[in-house]
Amino acid sequence: MSALLEIEDLRVTFRTRYGEVTALDSVSLQVNAGETLGIVGESGCGKSITALSVMGLIPSPPGKIAGGSIRLNGEELIGVSPARMRALRGSDVAMIFQEPMTSLNPVFTVGDQIAEAIMLHQKVSPDQAFRDAVALLDRVGIPSPDRRARDYPHQLSGGMRQRVMIAMAVSCRPKVLIADEPTTALDVTVQAQIFDLLNEIQRDFGAAIMLITHDMGAISEMADRVAVMYAGRVIETATADDVLDLPQHPYARGLIDCIPTLGRADHALKEIPGVVPPLHLLGKGCAFADRCAYKFDRCDAEKPLLTDHGRHPVACHGAEEGRI
Amino acid sequence: MTTLLDVRDLTVRFALPKASMFGPRPHLEAVRQVSFSLDAGRALGIVGESGSGKTTTAMAAIRLTPASGGQVLFEGEDLLALDEEGMRQRRRDVQLIFQDPYSSLNPRARVVDIVREPMDLLEIGTPEERLARVKELFSLVGLRPDQLNLFPHQFSGGQRQRISIARALTTNPRLLVCDEPVSALDVAIQAQILNLLARLKAELGLSYLFISHDLGVVRHVCEDVAVMYLGKIVEMGPRDALFDAPQHPYTQALLSAAPSLSRRKSKGYVRPLKVSGDPPSPINPPAGCAFAERCPKAQAICRQTPPVLAPLAGAGGASGPVQQVACHFPGPAAEAA
Repeated sequence: MSALLEIEDLRVTFRTRYGEVTALDSVSLQVNAGETLGIVGESGCGKSITALSVMGLIPSPPGKIAGGSIRLNGEELIGVSPARMRALRGSDVAMIFQEPMTSLNPVFTVGDQIAEAIMLHQKVSPDQAFRDAVALLDRVGIPSPDRRARDYPHQLSGGMRQRVMIAMAVSCRPKVLIADEPTTALDVTVQAQIFDLLNEIQRDFGAAIMLITHDMGAISEMADRVAVMYAGRVIETATADDVLDLPQHPYARGLIDCIPTLGRADHALKEIPGVVPPLHLLGKGCAFADRCAYKFDRCDAEKPLLTDHGRHPVACHGAEEGRI
Repeated sequence: MTTLLDVRDLTVRFALPKASMFGPRPHLEAVRQVSFSLDAGRALGIVGESGSGKTTTAMAAIRLTPASGGQVLFEGEDLLALDEEGMRQRRRDVQLIFQDPYSSLNPRARVVDIVREPMDLLEIGTPEERLARVKELFSLVGLRPDQLNLFPHQFSGGQRQRISIARALTTNPRLLVCDEPVSALDVAIQAQILNLLARLKAELGLSYLFISHDLGVVRHVCEDVAVMYLGKIVEMGPRDALFDAPQHPYTQALLSAAPSLSRRKSKGYVRPLKVSGDPPSPINPPAGCAFAERCPKAQAICRQTPPVLAPLAGAGGASGPVQQVACHFPGPAAEAA
């Protein structure tokens, strides 16, 4: 399978009052055509920074892409001209943001906002663009789309606003769709609707989806492959089944075990002790070492690299030496 | 088993702006005749989506939101009928943990003062006793004594929620109202706080009124569960009965919508029961069942007559409440239909 989006050794740094911190460190990912890659991790692990790097939206300064490469369809995105990036953004790679409340413009109707995205990338008349917008609203399951297209964002519910965001994102049939926690602000029944919609969109449009989430349940339902991130690094990557059934990294295992399930649950939940260390305090060892039950000398001394120890790539000394 | 909290026909109405100067003032019924009871030492989970009235129900039950009708019997005494001073004294038995550990702690106070404040206000013990109690609570919730003099911003989200819990426990309450206590936390931290709450409940014999939208969390913490939709309880019962054999179509929809590790894309998982649309507006609730518009089983009667919460035929366990459901056509989900 050909990689549509290839991220290689991406390194992103931010200038902070603690000096320069590395928000992403040698992150390598690839998303193939028609598949969903899930990126999972706790807040601050670098999931959203990865997405913003692909979109060319890292705020700079203080942020900076310090190295690596991002290739979309073979085209290098790092260092590309702002004009070219604008042309790609929206048409080849599009993003659905976490907060549908704040990412729509409150003073334009949703139909106009979708039409604007269409007109930026396609040579169509305003009337045609608006008609396309209505068709898209219909496609994402908004009832009476011709009336709703004339509504302002505040007249829509959270779920509807997220549908509008999805309509806007798919308006130019992007090859890669990045969904950054698309359902965090929504209720569960609405979340289920949005997940089902994303799956339908993928079937119809053949888009590759990069789904960013902290919820292993969402990964299970949505993803073909998974990358688990921790403190700016990918620590384990494999097919969703492999990660969920045979997690190698103690952190990936912890993330799965600490979820309160709907099944019978009279036992205590497994905990991951402690918290994610602040990025400016990362030492030279494994960032997870202080929270890890399997820690040994080597973990403090040397940063584990993402390598395949027989099952799938994992960045853990313990897994490498067969201690876990 | 003794009943700690018995809520009967609790109703909360909020006034809305008048449409015209001389017109009648419209009201929104956020909670409509909700009844439930909570036994000592148990936890009742209230689940529902935003706007279902779960928080308003709990806040009205402990008189932090004025109720417009009903009774709240706490150990047989009606909290809604108490005078101000009587209620103030009762507050030592009923404490609260908020959702957001960032905005619920005073950023300019040291945490030792934050945790001690309920005792100051209710004039419990001498200053020395109060400090000793704060230290005791700190170790109980898993904080270190050297952290006493820090400020809230020096703690992580999970630690702040521990501070909230310590503050809630200072007065030796019998009932803790937990309003989405873990939904602002990362999954890994959620487990720490849920285990702490479970341990405290067992050690101190606490009862919880536990509000959450996360069914997995509720199943983990609560013995009994009430599902709310548009201001009413649509189904209530012991945890296992409700999760294993949900009778109300809304409960079934909630359960099938919650993401689960057992549903794999690789296995071609397709959600069996889909619910479309959003909940109706509480300002002008439908005449019949509030869920009828979204319900796969809805018939004509559902749109005309509101169903009443009634015990399920054949239900009844050795302990706790029996499973009750408010639906004209209760029963297992129609799988293939």
